[in-house]
Amino acid sequence: MTEQMDKETREAALEGMGCSRKRKEDARFIQGKGRYTDDIQMAGMLFADMVRSPYAHARIKSINKEKALALPGVHAVLTADDLKPLNLHWMPTLAGDVQAVLADEKVHFQYQEVAVVVADDRYIAADAVDLVEVEYEELPVLVDAHKAMDADAPVLREDLVGKMQGAHSERKHDNHIFNWQAGEKEATDRVFDNAEVVVSQDMYYHRVHPCPLETCGCVASFDKVNGHLTVYLTSQAPHVVRTVVSMLSGLPESKVRVVSPDIGGGFGNKVGIYPGYVTAIVASIVLGVPVKWVEDRMENISTTAFARDYHMTGEIAADKDGIIKALRVNVLADHGAFDACADPSKFPAGLMHICTGSYDVPVAHLNVDGVYTNKAPGGVAYRCSFRVTEAVYVIERTMDVLAQKLGIDKAEIRRRNFIKSEQMPYKTCLGWEIDSGQYHMSLQKVLDAVDYDGLRREQEEKRAKGELMGIGLVTFTEIVGAGPSRNCDILGIGMFDSAEIRVHPTGSAIARMGTITQGQGHQTTYAQIIATELGLPSEEIQIEEGDTDTAPYGLGTYGSRSTPVAGAATAVAARKIKAKAQKIAAHLLEVSEDDLEWEVDRFKVKGNPGQEKTMKEIAWAAYNNVPEGMEPGLEAVDYYDPPNFTYPYGIYLCVVDIDKATGETSVRRFYALDDCGTRINPMIIDGQIHGGLNEGFAVAMGQELPYDEQGNLLGNTLMDYFLPTFVETPKWETDFTVTPSPHHPIGAKGVAESPHVGSIPTFTSAIVDAFAHLGVTHLDMPHTAPRLWKTMQELGVK
Amino acid sequence: MQVDLDKTFELPGSGNQGWTFLQDIRGVASCMPGAEITEQVDDSNYKGSVKAKIGPATMAFAGNIEIRSMDLDKRELQMVGKGQDSKGTSSATMDLTAWVVEEEGKALLRGKASVTVTGKAASLGGRMMTQVADQILNQFGKNFCNNVAAMGEDEVAEQAREELAEQPAELNGFAFAWSVFTGWLRSLFGGKASN
Amino acid sequence: MAKQAVSFKVNGKQVDVLVDPRELLVHTLREKLQLTGTHIGCESTHCGVCTVDINGESIKSCTFLTVQAEGAEVTTVEGLASADGLHIVQQAFVEEHGLQCGFCTPGMLVRAASFLKENPNPTEEEIRWGMSGNLCRCTGYQNIIKAVQTAARKMQEA
Repeated sequence: MTEQMDKETREAALEGMGCSRKRKEDARFIQGKGRYTDDIQMAGMLFADMVRSPYAHARIKSINKEKALALPGVHAVLTADDLKPLNLHWMPTLAGDVQAVLADEKVHFQYQEVAVVVADDRYIAADAVDLVEVEYEELPVLVDAHKAMDADAPVLREDLVGKMQGAHSERKHDNHIFNWQAGEKEATDRVFDNAEVVVSQDMYYHRVHPCPLETCGCVASFDKVNGHLTVYLTSQAPHVVRTVVSMLSGLPESKVRVVSPDIGGGFGNKVGIYPGYVTAIVASIVLGVPVKWVEDRMENISTTAFARDYHMTGEIAADKDGIIKALRVNVLADHGAFDACADPSKFPAGLMHICTGSYDVPVAHLNVDGVYTNKAPGGVAYRCSFRVTEAVYVIERTMDVLAQKLGIDKAEIRRRNFIKSEQMPYKTCLGWEIDSGQYHMSLQKVLDAVDYDGLRREQEEKRAKGELMGIGLVTFTEIVGAGPSRNCDILGIGMFDSAEIRVHPTGSAIARMGTITQGQGHQTTYAQIIATELGLPSEEIQIEEGDTDTAPYGLGTYGSRSTPVAGAATAVAARKIKAKAQKIAAHLLEVSEDDLEWEVDRFKVKGNPGQEKTMKEIAWAAYNNVPEGMEPGLEAVDYYDPPNFTYPYGIYLCVVDIDKATGETSVRRFYALDDCGTRINPMIIDGQIHGGLNEGFAVAMGQELPYDEQGNLLGNTLMDYFLPTFVETPKWETDFTVTPSPHHPIGAKGVAESPHVGSIPTFTSAIVDAFAHLGVTHLDMPHTAPRLWKTMQELGVK
Repeated sequence: MQVDLDKTFELPGSGNQGWTFLQDIRGVASCMPGAEITEQVDDSNYKGSVKAKIGPATMAFAGNIEIRSMDLDKRELQMVGKGQDSKGTSSATMDLTAWVVEEEGKALLRGKASVTVTGKAASLGGRMMTQVADQILNQFGKNFCNNVAAMGEDEVAEQAREELAEQPAELNGFAFAWSVFTGWLRSLFGGKASN
Repeated sequence: MAKQAVSFKVNGKQVDVLVDPRELLVHTLREKLQLTGTHIGCESTHCGVCTVDINGESIKSCTFLTVQAEGAEVTTVEGLASADGLHIVQQAFVEEHGLQCGFCTPGMLVRAASFLKENPNPTEEEIRWGMSGNLCRCTGYQNIIKAVQTAARKMQEA
């Protein structure tokens, strides 16, 4: 065997970065041996169920628990009054507001938690819920965010009346939460006043829900003897939950153990802390037995974690060649009854100020007002990094409007405005530093792959025949991997993440991270990073996450932060081990460290073939033969505070045909090129992209949480809420370019959210494009057949 | 969820007979499928209940009916019914104005109703609400006409009395669901749901 | 509520349970028989994560009463593998990366195994329709389709 072949064989055997390693976690899932929260059963465990408000806004006149308590098998019925002595009837939200755990005198949204029933099993609990009698006095309902700050609007949050200083700004009205701005208003306005061309487009990014197939739930188990609380729960951020539970309960953090077992999809739904968790914990502490709470699908869609609900206006000032001179974005954000957004604390509108997109925008101004309405709280990052989805939507839609106004092709207008690769790293006028990107090259690759000019010709022909064909194009830049602790924290804790790696004497290893996988395949991919860094086979590297008793503190998995932050921590921790290993190797080979070079899985003495020590040999030596003065063992921990975010980007193109008779859209082609920097596992990346595209398809084409004027949520079962099946789902074509992040230890940028963020405006772009020749510049989502049919009626399309 | 309905029924008897029956609140209530007056509180306030069985779900609403006005000159009745289901998960309000007119020699019962439903019933049944309310009022109209006809002594009156006797005590699940479904189907094809 | 004795076979094993007449099969499987591979996702027969095989038919056990299972042969995901190892569809799902969070996977596998008995050589279109009662939020379905195709091919070869 030649040396080269030997090297390649050894490299392949590691199954490190860059290979499509089969997933380590699959074995248990395919055999029904996954362990999700609702699978956990404990001796004496009781079941909690919620009494919920049928009204969106009402005063609670009385609650009668007697009949419920009389039902055999019912152990407790708790209301806000029962939680008051513990000061747990309200809880802090991640956004600096408070949220009622159980409705305190008033309900603020339909399905709000009013009382919790604890019973022997879920059937008895459900019976008892029906027996709790609540008397309400209905109050005027506020559903329309645009009317929230009217003088005569009903005041929703009586607890905040008179408190005009909010968590983020002065409040202008009792229903106002915050005003938040970025950029330079006056400079931007000046450019607009003198611009050759100005476009302005109103758009509503509707309210949706992440709707993972597993709903939220927990099992709280308080051990009265030693005062330990263990909580198994569906959380994307178990360490943060532990801190919050400790703060709320007064239990020392060392006596609180939070475990995120297998999670059946998160997509942002499982970042927050919900009343169900808190009441189950209280019930377990009070009753001294384990208590399980698992929401049903209606509760899930109605109460935990909506996303979006942004009323936006995008405006671009440009010259007549379509070169952007300024951008102005105005947002009215409907946050529902409590501001429970999951954003880094300093950013009430998340990372919305990435709204300058992939373009060289000289000056911009973003204004966001958040308001209360009688809707469920939330505002989570549904498969996205804190409002990036909204930011990408507003800039990409407005770019299309500009292109249309000037009669410039939408690919061409983007090309003219792209940040050039030689401008990287590029400081945006709203304060970000985009680390890398080769937008022109990536765009060209897509246009060539789909024969863009050919598609445009075909569209011309179809239009001549009266057929509706649309081409959507989006060139988005994400901002993920929150984030540098200088500007990112949650409840005061910096948004670093962590990895701890221990190499055992025989050269296998265990590693634990502060993140938690929900389908992303961490158990597979983190091991690949370590395998490449340390030259140990990934098969022998065990990855563990989610148990706060064993894993190092981390902020969790959301906002595509696992690879950018914990992945970096993993690489850095591995490098710490490697540095120690090099010292041990030098000691074993009796040479200086500088005489060694690394090759796949071993240190070699330079220029002296055969003189080498493999990592496995070094691992053994680490436990019995280390240089004098060195402590034994081979392990390292790294808490990685990223110097910057990462900026994955993509070029997405979509072709649709719309049936003139029914308004039904057929997605003929969806081509997604992603650049996520270094690719750790191409198979998993492709899978993440397929899934993200499908969730984007769902949002753009059908998902919505519509409220009527009385604040009733119309459509909170899967009968109404659109989750695409095999049949509706289009076929996905994926492609990639690789522009590594210059500041990330392995150059990786994160990928799972790009397809969601990027595909949604692509669908809208395609749908609008089908009607562009009729003067349509924008259509609000969801692009359902009935809505498009109506559009066609209005346009007189026959 | 609010549904506004506007209905006209041709009465079998005279306008006077129609108006006489319209003033009999218990009688009018009994025309509402599944509805019943359980108690008269005072001159203008009643307690009542409505039971509806649709598929596997039974919803029982209990509430109050308030007669807002009874205009003898206009032969017009205005009433508001407000109820909550026994499990407290839904509530409904119906604001109804009904009047009797005579046009071209025909006696007509006209009604304008605004039905507001909140809670689970609205969330789950929202998409069928218009059809459901429409069918309830159609059954109401039919019963009302039968009642008016039953005031007489002829064969028609006899038949009307028989039909009234056969009326189910609560909203007839299957037949009702079917009529809702066909009404909905018709609306899909652009036709107007039959009155 | 008087409990009722129900006897049926699960994964080839005879079981006798005492249940309320209203108890749903999915709860009996998960909570009485500790077969937690069958999941609950929507309680309304839409998502399919509770899919099991009853007398050779795919059934959503979240809307199926345990008493209806009297005398039936029920197969859950735990019953797919045999002494010879994993079922071909199980292998194919790993091979083609047909799962991510794993929550829909048990129902998806049970349905796929049943579907391939109904149609051993399906087209992509037939797979899309035949599997459409099972939802997945993670994969975008593309790799599940590939997995079913791979399984079909391997079954033909076997």
